[in-house]
Amino acid sequence: MKRRSIVALCLVAVLAAAVTTATTLGATKKATASSITVWLQTDAQSGWPDLVASTNQQFQSDHPGTTVNIQYQNWGDHLQKFDATLAGGGGPDVIEMGNTEMTKYMAAGAFAPLDKTTFDNSASWLKGLAASGAFGGKTYGVPYYAGSRVVTYRTDLFKKAGITKLPATTAQFVADDQKLFAKNPKKGFSATYTAGTDWYFAMSFVFDYGGGIATQVSGKWKGLLSSPKSLAGLAAYKAFFLATSRASKTTDETHPNPYDVYAQGLAASMIGPSWFSCCVGKAYTADTAQFVMPGHVKGQSIPGFLGGSDLAVPVTSSSKALATDWIKDFTSTSSEKVLQAKGNIPNATNLLGSSVNERAAARSWFVPTAKHWVDVENGNILRNMLAQILTNKLTIKQAASSASDNIASVLNQP
Amino acid sequence: MNARRRGRRARQAGWNVLGLAIFVVMVFPVFWMISTAFKSNEQIVSLNPTWFPLHPTIQHFRDAIHRPYFWVDVKNSLIIVSVTVAISIVLAFLAAVALARYRFGGRKLFIVLVIGIQMLPQAGLIIPLYVVLARYHETNALSGVVITYMTFVLPFSVWTLRGFLIGIPKELEEAAMVDGSTRLGVFMKILLPLMGPGLVATSVFAFITTWNEYIFARILLNDQSKQTVTVWLSYFVGSSRHTDWGALMAASSLTAIPVVIFFLLVQRRIAFGLTAGAVRG
Amino acid sequence: MAPAAETMLDRSRRRRRFWGRTLRSAVPYGLILPIVVVIGVILGYPLYWLVKLSTERYGLFELIRHAGVSVGLANYRSVLHDQVFWHTLLRTVVFTTANVTLTMVIGMLLALLLARVGTVVRILLSSGLVLVWSMPVVVAVQIWYWMTNYENGVVNYILTKLGIGNFFEHDWYATTFSQLSLVTLLIVWGALPFVVITLYAGLAQVPHDLIEAAEVDGARSWRVFRDITLPILRPILLILTSLSIIWDFGVFTQPYLLIGQSKISTGNYLMSIYLFEEGYFKSDYGRGAAISLLMLLMVAVLSVVYVRKMVRIGEAQ
Repeated sequence: MKRRSIVALCLVAVLAAAVTTATTLGATKKATASSITVWLQTDAQSGWPDLVASTNQQFQSDHPGTTVNIQYQNWGDHLQKFDATLAGGGGPDVIEMGNTEMTKYMAAGAFAPLDKTTFDNSASWLKGLAASGAFGGKTYGVPYYAGSRVVTYRTDLFKKAGITKLPATTAQFVADDQKLFAKNPKKGFSATYTAGTDWYFAMSFVFDYGGGIATQVSGKWKGLLSSPKSLAGLAAYKAFFLATSRASKTTDETHPNPYDVYAQGLAASMIGPSWFSCCVGKAYTADTAQFVMPGHVKGQSIPGFLGGSDLAVPVTSSSKALATDWIKDFTSTSSEKVLQAKGNIPNATNLLGSSVNERAAARSWFVPTAKHWVDVENGNILRNMLAQILTNKLTIKQAASSASDNIASVLNQP
Repeated sequence: MNARRRGRRARQAGWNVLGLAIFVVMVFPVFWMISTAFKSNEQIVSLNPTWFPLHPTIQHFRDAIHRPYFWVDVKNSLIIVSVTVAISIVLAFLAAVALARYRFGGRKLFIVLVIGIQMLPQAGLIIPLYVVLARYHETNALSGVVITYMTFVLPFSVWTLRGFLIGIPKELEEAAMVDGSTRLGVFMKILLPLMGPGLVATSVFAFITTWNEYIFARILLNDQSKQTVTVWLSYFVGSSRHTDWGALMAASSLTAIPVVIFFLLVQRRIAFGLTAGAVRG
Repeated sequence: MAPAAETMLDRSRRRRRFWGRTLRSAVPYGLILPIVVVIGVILGYPLYWLVKLSTERYGLFELIRHAGVSVGLANYRSVLHDQVFWHTLLRTVVFTTANVTLTMVIGMLLALLLARVGTVVRILLSSGLVLVWSMPVVVAVQIWYWMTNYENGVVNYILTKLGIGNFFEHDWYATTFSQLSLVTLLIVWGALPFVVITLYAGLAQVPHDLIEAAEVDGARSWRVFRDITLPILRPILLILTSLSIIWDFGVFTQPYLLIGQSKISTGNYLMSIYLFEEGYFKSDYGRGAAISLLMLLMVAVLSVVYVRKMVRIGEAQ
């Protein structure tokens, strides 16, 4: 009898301990009406925390008694997290979305429509960004900031190779790169480092030659990569890559980071966002500058991918009006100027300055605004195509037409 | 006799050398992590690897510790892990005793169900689990993570502990019972000491699994002041911008320390089990 | 008076025996009750949901409205008709077999070695194992990627220096086979500490004097291992094998991060990556649930031999 009661006692004790820890640890505060939760990417935490703080201050002085809870997210898994909160609740009132992520969620009705006219500079929002936040004639996403792609280069190496004038066409750039190779016979050295499957860069050639990825014809998506113009662009990309880069033909633009290659002195130039200048290595900081990549026609830059972020209000939010007001503060003219000072492209054309980054944005391209575009990206259809082309596994035409058909079938899913 | 002893010593030396060689190969990635944490940024990305940083810098450690929420998140991890391990091991041990020492209806079903839970792909459970915990207001709470972890740790622990219990001959207990010991006495005097290594191995496993878990902690916890260390670590590589490798390696080295301390505290039990062999018979 | 007292005593004794028996038979239920409660409360509903989801059209649209559309077995049918599913399944089975075999064989050898080396080496080796174990998977993957990368990987450097060949700018991530081999190495390396330490703890249960007696009798070490050590380790070995099968079949983080999202394609999918791509990235949760349940079925089939053996061992005793 005694033994049993001891066992029973132990059991009760353990269960009680479990319950008490559960209740004491689980002091979940119920969200009051006067509090909003904002999901921003960590870029804001490391890049412009002061802007976030001052926006919150501004917002709280306009809405006394309201608290703002900023929760930082990662690009890698914020959508899984968001999906979970859409199903179970407890999600944010404001969410930062990548501009290529928006369409799928807008199509599913995940966001509340916003009145575009109440936001600063909404009449002159950057076209690419504004398009990513609009669906079916309504606005769901407010442009936050953008970034374009530029050439970061070593002024000292260019001078040593006798390049006195920056290239005005892609062909000139390739010719200059040959001079750079001649002066730098180091193993593994790239005159222009680009990763083989960097599809953002490769598609720039496609758009430069007048091609495209996909287009909508009477409600149906049609692949464009196998069109003659796109094929010309892909051929130009292949020629450019083989002539200038010693990177792996199958790697992407973050493995390794181009600036790490550059920082080792293994590249005379590299293609990427303008913030790449942050990390070029102490030895080369003084000899680093940037220019806008030229296109194949003289006087025209190559169209760059316009990456960026939008801010949206999920339908599950219980304080949509407050959330909208916070977005207004965070994307006001003065806020955008702070973002600009941090090296970003502000969200409206009337705010654009003349930095390399902003000049490069003048000619830009964007992914098809289709509900299933994300599946094309996640399925790595374009990256696989590029790897096949560069490694000669398939001819350009074979690889492009199979990718094109593939893209069309993904985009046309119900 | 002498020759035999010499042969034995040579063989022992051979084993030792082999052990050391394996140690070097296994530990190399860990060594690389720690040595990278002490290198300058230039050395980290250099083409010619630096094996030992001759001028070690502790700047990366300083950067890591001073990133916001480091200490809070370490504390959260410690709370989650210790509560999970303590409760799980006790509960699992009770169930393992039931499975290894009693016969009862539904026993086989229970065993199969317990292993069946392990077979569920965790990725499939993310959203359903979130929905359930949200209903009980257990999202964004450490307790929600604790009970989630228990559902992974418990089945595993039950199985392993049952295996260790089966390895202990029943005759030992029966002999003690004949000698007039009570069941509890048998439990305390015979079962528990013999189970030492098993309990230690299982709790080391539980400790490390929960300490390193990422996906569920990430999905369930929102506030940075409530997150775990692994989630905190993920912020190093999660941004679209430059990753501070040095600080990441320093931070990773730091987060390994509690695991090593925990193991050093309990590892004597395992070694003890070997030397205490004579006690059994 | 005396006989009456006797019957009373008898009855109470009988009653006590009756209650004692009932209580004793209730003990095991009491022992497993807490686990049943914890797991039942936490996983019961999600499991029900998963099964229900697998018979519904449940995408992002339905997720937001918390209402799926019943489609019967359409999700299962579409998965089973998917070529990619069968290719992935075959690849995963081969992958799992290789991983489990390597893990168990090397793990057993290392555990035996650990019992033979001197104290210093033993402490060194076991602390080394724990260090490996204590590395968060996310970080371990980064380190492995670094060691094997195209530009400045240490592995290429060492292989070239050792004169094994010119590995300068060797691309370890170029082919599926090479990618999955690297993942296998990473997984085995990461799994060894757990297997070795558990087996070593199991070795501690082997009575010393039994081994000594056998050695005095002149038994060879292989026979000692087969006749004495192995039977005692059998339950633990079976558990480790079945757990390894389960874990390696469903492994996600290591292949996903080491190969890298940008190189994942239908040509190198493993089951859990297939599940993730179909369920989460394409936001087809119904199909994802069907894949989850099919995976459960597959791994159950794969491990049934070991599980049955394991249950039997308990029964025999």
